[in-house]
Amino acid sequence: MTDMARDLDWIVGNAVIRDPTGLHARPAVKLTRLAKTFEAAIEIRAEGGGDWVNAKSPNAVMKLKAGAGLPLHIRAAGDDARSAVDALMALVQRDFHD
Amino acid sequence: MTDTVSIVIVSHSPDVAKGAADMVRQMVGEEVRVAWCGGNPDGGLGTDVAAIMAAIEKVYTPKGVAVLVDLGGAETNSEIAIEMLSDGRGAHVQILNAPVVEGAVMAATEAAGGASLEAVRATAEDF
Amino acid sequence: MSEELMRALIAKCNATIAAHADELTALDRPIGDGDHGQNMARGFSALAAAADEIAPLPFGQALQKAGTALVMKIGGASGPLYGSLLMAMGKAVEARPAGTKAAAAMLGAGIEAVKARGKSDAGAKTMLDVLVPVQEALAAGATIAQVRDVADAALAATKDMRATKGRAAFVGERSIGHLDPGARSATLLIHAICDVLEAK
Repeated sequence: MTDMARDLDWIVGNAVIRDPTGLHARPAVKLTRLAKTFEAAIEIRAEGGGDWVNAKSPNAVMKLKAGAGLPLHIRAAGDDARSAVDALMALVQRDFHD
Repeated sequence: MTDTVSIVIVSHSPDVAKGAADMVRQMVGEEVRVAWCGGNPDGGLGTDVAAIMAAIEKVYTPKGVAVLVDLGGAETNSEIAIEMLSDGRGAHVQILNAPVVEGAVMAATEAAGGASLEAVRATAEDF
Repeated sequence: MSEELMRALIAKCNATIAAHADELTALDRPIGDGDHGQNMARGFSALAAAADEIAPLPFGQALQKAGTALVMKIGGASGPLYGSLLMAMGKAVEARPAGTKAAAAMLGAGIEAVKARGKSDAGAKTMLDVLVPVQEALAAGATIAQVRDVADAALAATKDMRATKGRAAFVGERSIGHLDPGARSATLLIHAICDVLEAK
C-alpha cells in the first residue's frame, strides 16, 4: 500500500466468507459494485497474508482469491467509511445475496 | 440514472455472444446496457458488419461503447463497422484487447457506477 | 460509358466467383476456416443484385458502394479486406482512370487500405502477394496479357510461403505447400477484370 494509506484513519471490520468456493467471480463483482457506491477509500485483505487491495477494482478483488471459512478484512477511510465497512460486512455475512 | 459505458459482444457464434451477454446481465445487473451479435449473414459461424453496427447503435451512448470480439474476422469486421457509424459516433466506440467473456464481465463491472471508457478499457485489458 | 463497364465487371466477377466457390473453399479448408468460397459467393451475388443501383453512379462512387456491399455480405475475414480495397480505390478516383498508370495509382490506394485493415504486407501469404505485384506491373505500364501472367506467377509463389497473418497463421509451417485462398480469389478477380477490359 502507499505511504498515504498508512496515515489514513481507517475504520476496520471483518466478516467470514461462508460460500464453500470462497470469494469467487460473482461475489467479487457484487462486492466491487457495492464498494463503488461509497466515496470512502475502501480496501480488503484475505486472511493469512497478502496486501490490502482496492475494493473498487474488479481486477484486484477477483484476484484476491479469499478462501472459504476465513474472515475477509475490510477497511475504509473517508466521510462515509463507517457505512461502507458496515455495508460490506453485511454483504459478506448474508452470503452475497441481494 | 448515471450514464454508463455500454458493452457490445461480437462472436462468430450467436450462442457464445448471447451467453456472454447473459452472464454480464446476471453478474453485473441491468445498469450497464449490453448488446450482442454473432453469426454471418446466412446464420452460420462468422460475423456480420450490419449486425455489429446495429448492436452498437442499440446501446450507443456518447459516454462510450466497449466492444469485445473473439477471433480474426470479428475484429476486422468490428473495426469497419465502427468506421461506418454515422455522425462521428465511431469516436466513442473502442474494441478492447481482452477475452470475450472475462473481458465483458470485467468491463461491465468497471462501467457500473459510471467509469469512463478509458477506465473500462484498462480494467478489461489488465485482467 | 462507365455504367456499361461497371455492369459488365460486376456480372463477370460474380460469375467467376460463383464458378470457383467450391475450389476456394477447398483451398481454405486445410489452412483456414473453410468458408472462403461461400463467403465470397454470398458477397458477390449480393453485389450483382445491387448492380442496378451501383452501375449508374459515377465510377468512384460505384466502386465505394460496391465495397460497402461486399463488406456487408461477405462476412469472414475477407469481407473487410475486399470491401476496404474497393472503398479506398473508389475514394481515390472520380471517373474511370484513364490509362494504366492511373489504374495503378487507384489500385495502390486500395492496397494501402488492405494493408492497414489486415495489419499486414506482402510476404505473409495473403491476397496482397498477388495485388502488390499486379499493381507494380501496372505502374510499369504492363499490358492486359502481362497483368494476367504476373498475377498467375504471384499466386503460384504463395504456395511456398508460410502464413503469418489470418487464420492460416495458426497452422504455421503446415501452411507451406498450399495456395493461399485469398490470393487465389484475387487472381480470379484480376482475370475476370482483364477479360472484361479486353472485350471492350
